Amino acid sequence: MNLHDPERADALAGEYVLGTLRGRARQRLERLARTDRIVADAVRGWEERLLPLAEALPPIAPPSRVWAAILARIRSAATAPRARSLLWAPAGWWRGLALVGLATSLALAIALLKPGAEAPEGTLVVVLAGGDAKPALVATAVRTSRYLAIKAIAPVAVAPDRSLQLWMLPETGNPRSLGLVSTIAPAGVARIELPAAADRTLQNIPALAISLEPAGGSPTGLPTGPVLYTGPVQRLY
Amino acid sequence: MQSDPAKQLERNARLMELLARTALADQQAFAELYRLTSPHLYAVALRILREAAPAEEVLQESFVNIWHHAGSYVAAKSQPLTWLTSIVRNRCLDQLRRRELETVTMDDEEEGVAIAAEDPTPLEMLLSGADTRAVRGCVEALEPTQKQAIALAFFQGLSHSELAQHLRQPLGTVKSWVRRGLERLRDCLDRAGVTR
Repeated sequence: MNLHDPERADALAGEYVLGTLRGRARQRLERLARTDRIVADAVRGWEERLLPLAEALPPIAPPSRVWAAILARIRSAATAPRARSLLWAPAGWWRGLALVGLATSLALAIALLKPGAEAPEGTLVVVLAGGDAKPALVATAVRTSRYLAIKAIAPVAVAPDRSLQLWMLPETGNPRSLGLVSTIAPAGVARIELPAAADRTLQNIPALAISLEPAGGSPTGLPTGPVLYTGPVQRLY
Repeated sequence: MQSDPAKQLERNARLMELLARTALADQQAFAELYRLTSPHLYAVALRILREAAPAEEVLQESFVNIWHHAGSYVAAKSQPLTWLTSIVRNRCLDQLRRRELETVTMDDEEEGVAIAAEDPTPLEMLLSGADTRAVRGCVEALEPTQKQAIALAFFQGLSHSELAQHLRQPLGTVKSWVRRGLERLRDCLDRAGVTR
């Protein structure tokens, strides 16, 4: 591929954006576009010409699990403090947690749950964080038990005509409801009954999420409201 | 999305603002950006990959990437939706390439290429996507064979050999349809001042 010939470079950039340039030729052009201004400009020119044509496609709403998965991923990667969600109380000792990252806050959360003790052997722990990556709730279950205990470590306020619903986010497929999280007073604990032992129920479930739903829960069986908190399932065994 | 130029300007300004706020880690802006653009981008991915699961995966990867790299979007250089579309399309094409690598070794006998049967056809979309008069004129000025080859490659992600198979033409013929079609489209659009 001779890219010193601008005509040739432009033709290849056109095929690159169109999508017919494949294999190694595609990778090579991609690499060159990062370092060579002429190639980069040629690619941009073709993107301007061709990509607006894609707007003719009839839009299709993606399933809600895509957004839930995106949120779970950007939150677990979050290190910087984020804008405060409206549901968050403005003050409290836990605000400092924003800076310490999820791994540390996991340890903190465990310490909070069992003051002075490590998490017991064979426990599943999920630290659920809100939009600002601050832990808000911690869900724990002994792996053989059929209960999940959810403890609020930050104030969680819900309007009377709304419910919080807990979801399992499987690796593939739709979120599955675990039920409603009854209003939790600060430092209160909600218990959620599981269909089977915790380690079986949460097998192949990388994350949990809590969404805001109409009172009584989602009418559709899938999350309909905003996802307020998400967190990865940690297996301490 | 919309074809009204005034609405398009307004939409672009909004998307630029959302991208700028996303670059500052504003999750609400990011959610709004997702709400406004994901149906369009999902349709792009679904057309090329033809199955929901890989299209969802590409959309997820793309938006995680957008969240981390919104700051590298340079407003002066391309339209926001063009930038977002290029991220999604490039990931789709990468995935097609990986699939090709996997299947080539398994069997040399290529299967028939399934084209989504639902309306509109790639050709109709090529024409309706050309929403300003100049762009439409340029698309219409292509030879019918060029138009069809470009539409199938662009919307369905067909490679040269898939095009040859689908259009029942020799590989060389199809390649030259694509090459000449692109040249003609570029010359016409540049003359009309649509780009550059």
